[in-house]
Amino acid sequence: MSPDASQRTAPEATRTVPLRAPGRRVHPVAWWGWALLLATVAGRTANPWLLLLIVAVAGLVVTWCRGPEPWSDAYRVFLFIGLSAVAVRMAFYIVFGGSDGPTVLVTLPSATLPEWAAGFRVGGAVTAEGALAAAYDGLRLATLLVCVGAANALASPRRLLRSVPAALYEVSVAVVVALSVAPQLVESVGRVRRARALRGNTGRTPANLMRTVVAPVLHDALDRSLSLAAAMASRGYGRAAGVPAPARRATGAALLFGLLGLCAGAYALLGTTTPAPLAWALLAAGAAAAVFGIAFASRRVPHTRYRPDRFKAVDWAVIASGAAAVAGTVLSGVFEPAALWPATNPLRVPELPLWAAAGVVLAAAPALLAPSAPSSKPPKGTP
Amino acid sequence: MSREAEMVAAPRPALRWRAALALALAAVFGLVAMSWPLLAAPGGALTETTSGPWLFVLLLPLVTASVLIQLADGGLDARAVAMLGVMSAVVAAVRPFGAGAAGVETVFFLIILAGRVFGAGFGFILGCTGLFASALLTGGVGPWMPYQMLAAAFVGLGAGLLPRTGASRGGRAGELALLAGYGAVSSLVYGLLLNLSYWPFALTQGNLAYVPGGSVEENLPRLVTYTLATSLGWDVGRAVTTVVLVLATGPLLLRVLRRAARRANWV
Repeated sequence: MSPDASQRTAPEATRTVPLRAPGRRVHPVAWWGWALLLATVAGRTANPWLLLLIVAVAGLVVTWCRGPEPWSDAYRVFLFIGLSAVAVRMAFYIVFGGSDGPTVLVTLPSATLPEWAAGFRVGGAVTAEGALAAAYDGLRLATLLVCVGAANALASPRRLLRSVPAALYEVSVAVVVALSVAPQLVESVGRVRRARALRGNTGRTPANLMRTVVAPVLHDALDRSLSLAAAMASRGYGRAAGVPAPARRATGAALLFGLLGLCAGAYALLGTTTPAPLAWALLAAGAAAAVFGIAFASRRVPHTRYRPDRFKAVDWAVIASGAAAVAGTVLSGVFEPAALWPATNPLRVPELPLWAAAGVVLAAAPALLAPSAPSSKPPKGTP
Repeated sequence: MSREAEMVAAPRPALRWRAALALALAAVFGLVAMSWPLLAAPGGALTETTSGPWLFVLLLPLVTASVLIQLADGGLDARAVAMLGVMSAVVAAVRPFGAGAAGVETVFFLIILAGRVFGAGFGFILGCTGLFASALLTGGVGPWMPYQMLAAAFVGLGAGLLPRTGASRGGRAGELALLAGYGAVSSLVYGLLLNLSYWPFALTQGNLAYVPGGSVEENLPRLVTYTLATSLGWDVGRAVTTVVLVLATGPLLLRVLRRAARRANWV
């Protein structure tokens, strides 16, 4: 770690350590589960009130539970991406049309596309009903994106990497190396450019930059990787693990059968000749075989884990709160399906589906269960 | 020099038959996962539900993990792991340069050149780890990531499987032309497949939306128009930048990477 980075994090650590017991932070897999369950709710409705409620709940949980890390700002970025998704959806409606209604807002000049390009009209009447339907649709996609953004803001990617199955040990070591080498590359570019300037070379032509900046930086990085490999080999990292041959063969067979089952299941799902239950069963069997193969391979890997990251009661509670939102939506789908998919023709104010809304409000529980730093306000005033 | 260059091009880590079979199955599954809106027959099991896109988003990581385990079967050695890490870091570092401008793709040329030098298996894993690391660094993890990882992995795999060229001056020029042509084709196919995977999410109604249960004749013109309207500029931009970057940096990068492969004794 570079010296300035450690200086930056040191005050943070002293501020938060006495307030937050170590390991209190929620498991990243739990955050992803919670966010994906909320996204599932967003996928199963087009009710604008419910969608806005989901965005608000996600925002509340992010502001209460996020840490001081650099990725904590992802929610805001994804909010803007979601807004642009709504804008793109509206533009698509105005140019290419969609559902129609009697209330014409404005009539644009129209043209009919040739037959090979679907032969439909471009432009034409823009109706309030169609615009509203497009807005609901865009809002749905935006809410999905915001849920993903909330997971990105809350879940620590480095801790997420620790949850990669042990059978992918070498690949995850490579990703860890990548995450720690990337900042060094930036530093390396700065060093090479400084040395270049000291030699009096300030040319800015691409060929010159390639030869005098890119080439040394790459040589440096690759040479460093070789010395890293030597260091890793001498400490026993990344060496061929002594897995017995029968176990390896069993793993390979399970994984191949899993892939085969998944392919066959997907093929059966696409066609009409196989009955649907059989197709789903094939797909499930393939997925189960692949999961078994990965789990079996992980158990055979003779590498131990330093401080394994286990699921705690808080993590299960976070996932349960997300599941409550899905359960509420399912109940709404049974008792008040019209509220989940509000009609836009004729125009009217959509109702709030009560069961689903109650479930989504329950999904805000992590804000109370795992608040990040309850005392983040007092240090703000102090310099 | 000529013999050395040829020996260095030997694929490493080697593809065993089980890994090759797993790769083929994953390619089939990945193609289905991306192009199911066109392949699904009307009245089939998939078109009757709305869960199609989510199903494949959840299953793709499983498939990718299975293939990676098969590829790394018996253990990648420390040099391959370290080289993968450093190359993934380079991929993650150059990727943000392309994010700002429309269609500028600064990742593919690296994956293609590395796959060419270090072999098909390395190219496949680099496509996965490079995009994964960059998503972790920039907070860009989302439902699109499994598709991007698998598609980029096959770009790297294909670069490793391209035919050998001689080490003479003409052979080197031919190699560059081959890689540039492959870069253009793979960029366009990558763009089309990713577009196809995102299409059912992006629009659900209107003239350009996917019609669940519609026939190919009904859906294909909609897809073509959607592609023309949204992403053709990006795809062409990606192809052009990849070709330009391969041609501009290829001679230097191939030399640097081959030197590293020689020093790692991968002969």
